[in-house]
Amino acid sequence: MANYCYLTFPTTYFVLRAEVVLQETNLSFKLLPVPRSISSSCGTALRCSCADLDAIKNALQKAAVEIEGCFELAEKERPNRPVNRRKKMES
Amino acid sequence: MKGNKRNLYFDNAATSWPKPEPVYGAAEIFMRQMSGNPGRTGSTRTIEADRLVYQTRAALARLFHAPDPSRIVFALNATDALNMAIKGIIEPGDHVLFTAMEHNSVLRPLGGLKKAGLISATMIPCSKEGATDLDFLEKAFKPRTRLLIVNHASNVCGTIAPIDELIAIAHRRGAFVLVDAAQSAGVLPIDVQASQIDLLAFTGHKGLLGPAGTGGLYVRPGLDLKPWREGGTGSFSEMDLQPESMPERLEAGTLNSPGLAGLLEGVKFIEEMGLDQIRNREMELYAYLRDKLSRIPGIELYSPEDPSRCAAVLSLVMKDIDCGELGYILESAYGILCRTGLHCAPMAHRALGTFPEGTVRLSPGYFTRKEDIDYLYGALEEIAALKS
Repeated sequence: MANYCYLTFPTTYFVLRAEVVLQETNLSFKLLPVPRSISSSCGTALRCSCADLDAIKNALQKAAVEIEGCFELAEKERPNRPVNRRKKMES
Repeated sequence: MKGNKRNLYFDNAATSWPKPEPVYGAAEIFMRQMSGNPGRTGSTRTIEADRLVYQTRAALARLFHAPDPSRIVFALNATDALNMAIKGIIEPGDHVLFTAMEHNSVLRPLGGLKKAGLISATMIPCSKEGATDLDFLEKAFKPRTRLLIVNHASNVCGTIAPIDELIAIAHRRGAFVLVDAAQSAGVLPIDVQASQIDLLAFTGHKGLLGPAGTGGLYVRPGLDLKPWREGGTGSFSEMDLQPESMPERLEAGTLNSPGLAGLLEGVKFIEEMGLDQIRNREMELYAYLRDKLSRIPGIELYSPEDPSRCAAVLSLVMKDIDCGELGYILESAYGILCRTGLHCAPMAHRALGTFPEGTVRLSPGYFTRKEDIDYLYGALEEIAALKS
């Protein structure tokens, strides 16, 4: 299981701005729905490896992209699947 | 000449046509492939839609030389943007200045606010050439003057307002300036920073060469407007008040993303061609059109002679014929499309001396050809000859 770091943002506008800024670097990242264990104002988060977190935060701060929160989660690479599917169908 | 019927479009001031080819398909591609609701958490499709909206915002920010794309707010059209600006900035008891060249999308909101007893308003007169009376303007400011509204280029006679000068005067007197760029965006150079523009309203379906149902408002950094519609923004969902973060603060509800896909292509076309090239071409066409029509006896022209002083919008009246009838003959007998009447700018027609009859308005665009103008000239010459 890998540890990933997640950045959350106040609005979608800042998520997309973050993407544009980071595409100019060679840092890896992915935009995806905010994991359920994190709450945030905007529902799209930016995921990266924790090793890159500082570099990413620097790049974003330089570009005046507003970051809301920073989280580290131990998580599988694929998003969670619903657990009680069969139960839902029976009821 | 009659019987040689064509379909020649001279109404670009109403809406531009044709569009650059990629504009048409962009809406379809969006709806087939990308359709996600931007700003709402969901799938990668949502993020694709978000990206497209962001790119359109960024392209417009480049075009208007705005350093921060978050200050470009999307709206339904220029009327929507103007209402958003006016109603977002004024407080009860304010005084508003506007010019005689303003469109009903400015005159009517001001009329309504006056009627409700919320504001007082003063019109700055314009000359028969559509030029703003700067002396009158200087004397018209009051302690409560909050806003000056100016039409960048008249939709009746094309005259370009000296916005840099007007903004300097207004700022010295402590008032904000709202520039109506409905006829100028995508045609005249606009630099919101250099010109110190506070608010710029624009529409997507005229000079920006996009589809109808798009447009927006530039709000300069540091200026906060009261939102004129409130609702979902895809963020801060637990709040029951509109959030403060721009641009979402002023953009509640689903955007016209298929439309914005088309608008992006329109703006990209302008970037590729170069604003200069588009402007030069339109000035060339305007000069050619005006020169030819000035030779027809019985026609009076109301737009400036010097093409650098106006957008490519030419108003005329033909002696002894109602402008509506002339427009009808031009279309039914010659296939030439234009717009007649008061063009939703009654005060402009008063200033020009064409109220209440109105004018025939011809507005060539970037795609208009010289032979179209030759044909139009032939048609008007024939009609004038028959009339006399």
